[in-house]
Amino acid sequence: MSVIHRVRLPVGASPLVEVGHEVQPAEVLATRRPPGEGTSVAVAAALRRSPAAAGDCLSAQPGSVLEASDLLAADGRGREVRVPRASLFLGYDPDEGSALMAPLLGTEPIVGHVRGEVTRVDPEAIEIRVAGALVPGVGGSGGAVHGELRLAVREPGDELRAGAIDVGTTGRILVGGSRASAETLTRARAMGVAGIVLGGIRDKELRDFEATQLRRREIGGERGDFAVLLIEGFGKVGLDPGLFAWFRAHDGHVASLFGDSAQLYVYDAGAPPARRALPRAGDRVIAHRRPYAGLGGELLRIVPGLHATAAGIPVRAGVVRFEDGLTAVVPLANLEAAEPAPAG
Amino acid sequence: MSVTVDTELALLVDVGSAWVKANVIGRVRGRWRLVAHATQPTSWGGGQLRDALAGQLARSADSRLGDRLAELVGAANRLECHTARRPGRLAVVAVSRELSGSSARRAAEAAGWDVVETVTLDDGRTLAERLATIQGIEVDAWLVAGGFDDGRSQRAVEAAALVASARRPEGGPVIFAGSSGLAEEVAALFEPGATSAVANPRPDARREDLPPLRAHLQDLLRESQAGEEETHLATVALPRAVGALAASSGMRILAVDLGARGAVRALADTDGDVVSRVHARGGLSGAAVSPGAAARAARLAGDAGDEATLADLLRTIRAHPSTLPQTPEELAGTQAAALVQVAAMLEEGAPAGLDLVIGCGRTIAGAPRPAQSARMLLDGVRPVGVTQLAIDSAGVLGPLGSLPDDEIVEGLALLADDVLVPLGTAVVCRGGDTGRVAMRVTVHRPGWPASQPVEVRAGQLQVLPLVRGQEAELTIELGDGVSLGAARRSPRVQAMATGGSVGLILDARGVPIALPRRGDDRRAMIAAWREALGREVPSGAERVA
Repeated sequence: MSVIHRVRLPVGASPLVEVGHEVQPAEVLATRRPPGEGTSVAVAAALRRSPAAAGDCLSAQPGSVLEASDLLAADGRGREVRVPRASLFLGYDPDEGSALMAPLLGTEPIVGHVRGEVTRVDPEAIEIRVAGALVPGVGGSGGAVHGELRLAVREPGDELRAGAIDVGTTGRILVGGSRASAETLTRARAMGVAGIVLGGIRDKELRDFEATQLRRREIGGERGDFAVLLIEGFGKVGLDPGLFAWFRAHDGHVASLFGDSAQLYVYDAGAPPARRALPRAGDRVIAHRRPYAGLGGELLRIVPGLHATAAGIPVRAGVVRFEDGLTAVVPLANLEAAEPAPAG
Repeated sequence: MSVTVDTELALLVDVGSAWVKANVIGRVRGRWRLVAHATQPTSWGGGQLRDALAGQLARSADSRLGDRLAELVGAANRLECHTARRPGRLAVVAVSRELSGSSARRAAEAAGWDVVETVTLDDGRTLAERLATIQGIEVDAWLVAGGFDDGRSQRAVEAAALVASARRPEGGPVIFAGSSGLAEEVAALFEPGATSAVANPRPDARREDLPPLRAHLQDLLRESQAGEEETHLATVALPRAVGALAASSGMRILAVDLGARGAVRALADTDGDVVSRVHARGGLSGAAVSPGAAARAARLAGDAGDEATLADLLRTIRAHPSTLPQTPEELAGTQAAALVQVAAMLEEGAPAGLDLVIGCGRTIAGAPRPAQSARMLLDGVRPVGVTQLAIDSAGVLGPLGSLPDDEIVEGLALLADDVLVPLGTAVVCRGGDTGRVAMRVTVHRPGWPASQPVEVRAGQLQVLPLVRGQEAELTIELGDGVSLGAARRSPRVQAMATGGSVGLILDARGVPIALPRRGDDRRAMIAAWREALGREVPSGAERVA
């Protein structure tokens, strides 16, 4: 199977690939020159005019990019101001008589982080056909990373512990279970783990981890990318056992993880178990709300009419036998059918 | 000989981003009544909805209609409103975070835009970070703000230049809402026709004037959603229905519709004029990304868990918006989050002189118990004065509002008592010293013996039985420093109250409600209020907390 991945290009980026090109996760697809910190360029003094009058001599408009030695202002009598290096012109201060310029820095690569064939290139985006499967999540954190998948827990409901992370996990994308603490995430990042896939995580622990990473980045102590993907929800939520089995079958496959957009591509993989709203009797289901969040089971039957939950809401509900042996009545709205992964 | 039995049915459908509410109306003994109602996740599809409605009809319909009910429901005339398929996305680039940026952002949010980024020249980021941020976002429109009208702040041009450097040609309209003297200079930075200038929302340091910008942004959003017929958008249809209801009833009405993704508030005057605001992220799932919302919900829920637990709950609701709270704790947390979101919609305070507050949306209007709906409205809106409370439990206001102008009132009249479920009347006062009598209320019910005045102390909530269809005349004596909102001309205030499923609520908890700092005290107080609102009492007894 294949899926299309879109790499958005910022204004001014220069694509380096063409349609049909086979790209690797670390390959540079395009380049851009990001603007750096603003600097002032004296205009009035150079033109020997008052700051207000010099404003009328500008030959460029704010927001435009000027290449090195391009004309910024001229008085029509031979006096000119040219920009010393390629810059973004942002504004003119009529009190100071100076222009605010943001010099364009060195070329910066734009990496796709996916492996596949380029199917479309335009100024806004590059599209890549990825030979593999897409596993969508419900949340995440961090940028884009790639690495080999590695199962790091035994059961889908297990918590990913800091002790499970060692030098052997460096550069890998770990598949954890029902949660990971901020301490575990910090250790994973420090050990060079590329990313972590979890059933759930406590929102507070993810925010705490993000806050410490931000502080470390601000003081220059953190380099390298790290991403987290949540598949099921927030809190202590196990992975769907069917999906966990699919991950087990693809242990060692290369994958690309996009934390912020909550997506995981697994290469050379068949489709993962699909999800469907409105399960039917006999379906394998996964529950999404407490007290059964993350538990999988079988929907034995639909309860006729409406059933009042413990919260008192009358709903359509079904009887579910969960895989831990518990049988409970669950609102159908809180269940998704987990369809088995297609054979092959 | 075979007899073909037929029936007249119509379908009222409100399709939300997460839930769809559908009602079948049919003729019952010569009157149009709601005869079936179903609510289900939108993702379940139309076939399932039709079957659910037909299943309900089968219990009461003429048996000769047999298995044709699903077919009849499918063929019925359909009045539908729906949530916009995707909210418009907008970036705000402004000079100052506290002044122009804050005003521009609030105007955009109140107009229904999803503000995906706000960049200001004093936001603490470096210039390079600012540029990287706005170059990395995808939006449908840009809003540039800054500078006062008596100056020509080049900082406003600098903000526009940031947009010009990040926006592609034809990359969405640019709205300039800044220093009026700079409009042409800013327009010159973009291709012809790309910019529109609007009255400055911050004409000077002391004045804020949001309505012109809000109106312009509302129009722009409607244009961008032109593919969807305007009157069928829930954000347009609901205010139209509320306006018609206000005009026909002579009441000043506030409706708050809390959806899964967005929220709408509509304020209608007695002449039918409506002012509505759409909050693109004001719905229940928006609480997950609203700073401090989890902490506030944890304080207000009482027994739903700590802030971290509420944060997990709100994130889960955002991830799975068409799921339901299954445990009482999750329900309490969800309703507290709804209360927080309603309060956020009315951050400048509830409009004065309201006659009726209507709660819409699944969380408020579909709460399992009327007392829960009442608490979300009462504590979220804090309507000072004597105000009726009601819920649109069937979700019919939106679909009725999608009718042509002259048919809305007719539709409301046809369904009459089925449109709203009255919760009762609330008397909310503010001021007064804790523990001292805030108001003394005498209730005169026609046909009942005279009753003793009920004393309500500051900080207290009392509920008196007043059932649906019953009316009572109230004589309210206010304590020192206590107000019902309007200026007092006499020591006694006379007012009419109408009953409902909760009753007559006498609320002296103040505006805003002050909660104890200690967690145990707070939980005990909230439990007592909940008890007072929800307790089943014999007729004539009062409930006090």
